[in-house]
Amino acid sequence: MRSFKAYFKKEIMESVRTNKYLILFIGIIFWALLDPLMLKLLPIFLKSYLPADLTTLFSTFTRDTAFQTFLKDLFQIGTLFIAFTLMGLISNEVYNKKLVFPYSRGAIPAGIVLAKYIHYAVTVSIFILVAFLTNYFYINQLFTGGVLSIGIVLKSSLLYILYYSIFLSVLLFLSSLFKKSIIAGITAVVIGYTLSIFNQFNTIRAYFPNYLIFKATDIGYIFDNSLIPTIIISFCIIILLVFFSILCMKKIDIA
Amino acid sequence: MIKVINLKKSYGRLEALKSISFEVERGSVFGFIGRNGAGKTTTMNILTGLIKFDEGKIFIKGKDFLKHKQEIIKSIGYLPETPTFYNYMNAYEYLNFIGKIIGYDFKKPRKNAGELLEMVKLAKQGERRIGGYSRGMKQRLALTVAFMNSPEILFLDEPASALDPEGRMEMLELIEGLKDNKITIFLSTHILNDAERVCDKICIIDKGKILLTKKLSQLYETYIQPIFDIEFEEDPGGEINLLKKLNWVGSIKESGQRISLYVKDIDYAKKEILKELSKLNTNVASYKIRKSTLEDIFIGMVSKNEII
Repeated sequence: MRSFKAYFKKEIMESVRTNKYLILFIGIIFWALLDPLMLKLLPIFLKSYLPADLTTLFSTFTRDTAFQTFLKDLFQIGTLFIAFTLMGLISNEVYNKKLVFPYSRGAIPAGIVLAKYIHYAVTVSIFILVAFLTNYFYINQLFTGGVLSIGIVLKSSLLYILYYSIFLSVLLFLSSLFKKSIIAGITAVVIGYTLSIFNQFNTIRAYFPNYLIFKATDIGYIFDNSLIPTIIISFCIIILLVFFSILCMKKIDIA
Repeated sequence: MIKVINLKKSYGRLEALKSISFEVERGSVFGFIGRNGAGKTTTMNILTGLIKFDEGKIFIKGKDFLKHKQEIIKSIGYLPETPTFYNYMNAYEYLNFIGKIIGYDFKKPRKNAGELLEMVKLAKQGERRIGGYSRGMKQRLALTVAFMNSPEILFLDEPASALDPEGRMEMLELIEGLKDNKITIFLSTHILNDAERVCDKICIIDKGKILLTKKLSQLYETYIQPIFDIEFEEDPGGEINLLKKLNWVGSIKESGQRISLYVKDIDYAKKEILKELSKLNTNVASYKIRKSTLEDIFIGMVSKNEII
């Protein structure tokens, strides 16, 4: 518990002083602010360049489609921001020998890993929630139509939070596995994107975490029974990967 | 206090430690000396639980290191050769961070950390971020971290390497002071003068093998050179020939009023020398047995190992 407390506080300090909070905030919230504006302004900008029948396509955006566009962009770009900001969670500490003093003074690997995971899971979750609410506010200001409600936005955000909690556990595990953080970052991004392929297969997609992203965009039908295996598997993945990260940290040579 | 039996460690094909064994007594300063890459830091990293070992046994305070690692580590302080910190923290913050890990009872965190920093003359720079510290300042901060919670055993890896001459002297005085407080010190160094000054026992390691482990006093006895340096009040001239005739004298090197007498049997020569010198028709100003320095012994041992 002592290691957990010490590292949790250290992660907060590090995130503030090395601008990790700022980068994550921009990476996640930016799309919540930019997407509705872009969708609203794009038809105006393109009016003189596109034929009239094409510009009508842009004017058909409702609150629902605007929200779905934001979700898609957040998944594509937010994943990159999270992966490349947090790819060195463990590897950087080991590679730069930052753990020599803490380990030699009795720091416990489980405390370190859990502090890092919980800290960033909470951070990313808060930023996602803020991003979703901000996006909802802007969409309501700029668009009309659709069935989008605060309830739908919150449900959708919950699925995104769960997805990124898994993504973080993948990143944490890869970071404890590879010495070079960039390898962990790229591998996590590749895994994150390629697993979306399974959303094409109706029979098996519910067994992959990317189904959470698929369901989050399924406005009006977000929570249904098909999510049960996904949620169970998601929690199992998180627990297993965090456990394996701790195991790796126990076996690793620190100096 | 520390007992190492047949310790082995390899990095791939490279055998870093080839079945080393040694023992460190409680409250002593154990000098672990060797060239770069001899295996000093690897041994220290193993003994502080930072890296694993392949074979062998380690007992610290009579307890099996592998079985009681977490408990043992609480009584250990480690000063690595190149200490690394979180550079965005300042010294106060770093001490508080480590303090939290070891459960250091900071009643008034800032005041207590300040006292620790005062000890290594860093209190004035305590607010500065560690990233801006010089190597010597980092070394002093590292020393504070190693000292936190009064460890029973201190592992010091080249503690004076980054310090200026004044800092080095202070470090040696500090080690001597700790010895008086019955703290066991495992000191790795290649500054042999430092080892000679503070160590009770010397262990020479080369190419992952222990070449010698001996008390410093025994070491001088064992590696004493069979040479008497004698100084006369005036040039002894032909008087020296009397000494040359003695069957226990090997050779004599003359240099004005001084001679170096190489003997065949040092113990016999110790008994006879004064008797024979008194027979000479010239006054002796001084005489002494030439002592080997730790450097002589170290170079001798390592060169022998090179040939093997």
